[in-house]
Amino acid sequence: MYFSEDFYINPIYLVENSLFLSYFCRMKQKVYFRTAIIILLFVIQVLFLFAIFRENTDSYLTLAFISSLSILLLYANQKAKLHHKEIEFESVSMILWVMIGTFTTYFLNQKLNLGAILAVSLTGLLASFIPNIKQESSYLKQLPPAIYCGAFVGMSGARVANDLYFVLTAAFFTGVLLVVSKSLLRGVGGRLGTLAFSGVFMTYILIYLLK
Amino acid sequence: MEILVLIITGILGSTLTYFLSTEKKQGPVRSSALLSLTIALFFYFFPHFLSAYLSSNIPVVFIGASFIGMVSSTQLSSYVGLSLAGILFTLIYLNTSRFFDGFGGSLGTSACIAILVILSIPYLRSRRNRTVGFLQLRRLVFRTQRQN
Repeated sequence: MYFSEDFYINPIYLVENSLFLSYFCRMKQKVYFRTAIIILLFVIQVLFLFAIFRENTDSYLTLAFISSLSILLLYANQKAKLHHKEIEFESVSMILWVMIGTFTTYFLNQKLNLGAILAVSLTGLLASFIPNIKQESSYLKQLPPAIYCGAFVGMSGARVANDLYFVLTAAFFTGVLLVVSKSLLRGVGGRLGTLAFSGVFMTYILIYLLK
Repeated sequence: MEILVLIITGILGSTLTYFLSTEKKQGPVRSSALLSLTIALFFYFFPHFLSAYLSSNIPVVFIGASFIGMVSSTQLSSYVGLSLAGILFTLIYLNTSRFFDGFGGSLGTSACIAILVILSIPYLRSRRNRTVGFLQLRRLVFRTQRQN
């Protein structure tokens, strides 16, 4: 690429050029970040599938089934326009709402013994009415998915989530994933569950490593 | 027989949630939560209505499949696709590793896998989400059929 001499000497050109370069670098970082999150979610889904095979090691049919699903998952990630090209982030305050959803479900499930399904559906149903408080508020419309996502973390059984610290840490990780993955898996059912599972799985691994 | 009942539950969970969310415009969260709450309350108050296995598994399969029904109509809009995703979800659920028992979000992950697998089939995707390559191929096939 050839630029006129002015481009290199004129300070205005130099400033514009450096601004463009820093913008370009930031964009590049965002693209790498986005790709890393997509790979993380894909790896977690494939691990989830291959855990099935771990318990059925002698069944070639199960292996074929899991392998086909993994290949189709990869193909869908490549071809099905699941991720928006624009890189967007949710408001950081969504982490708090995810934690509120988790705490409510955990309390209903493990302290009041309502059971995981009743607890999560009650939390989700109550959260779905929050936008009705102020119809025109775009912020309130973002709350039901965040709270419902947190509620999935709160569904964790006592075997995995033996105390409140575990679920709140998992909720924090899930909240961070929710904030950074706004443009990923848009409109795909199960997205919130996948994020919740990733948060719980990351916390489980972290605690395992720390022990 | 019990597996068949769970597969039907999976199909109903995904299609009814989608119907309530998209056709009745209740939104994905309310549709999934409301329908799951109804099923969970029924089995909470009548735990012996069906066998113990079905009473404990139907609400779980239903809520898991309802996550599939939370899909946006821009991604998947056919009831055939939703039903197939419901069946696939039930099959994954029935085989899920015991290692992940009690992991929150495992139902959502199964639902997400099921729906992504269905979305990998271009014919089942929503029209707006089909690739140019698939649309060209379809045009070519139909043109050839018309000529014959």
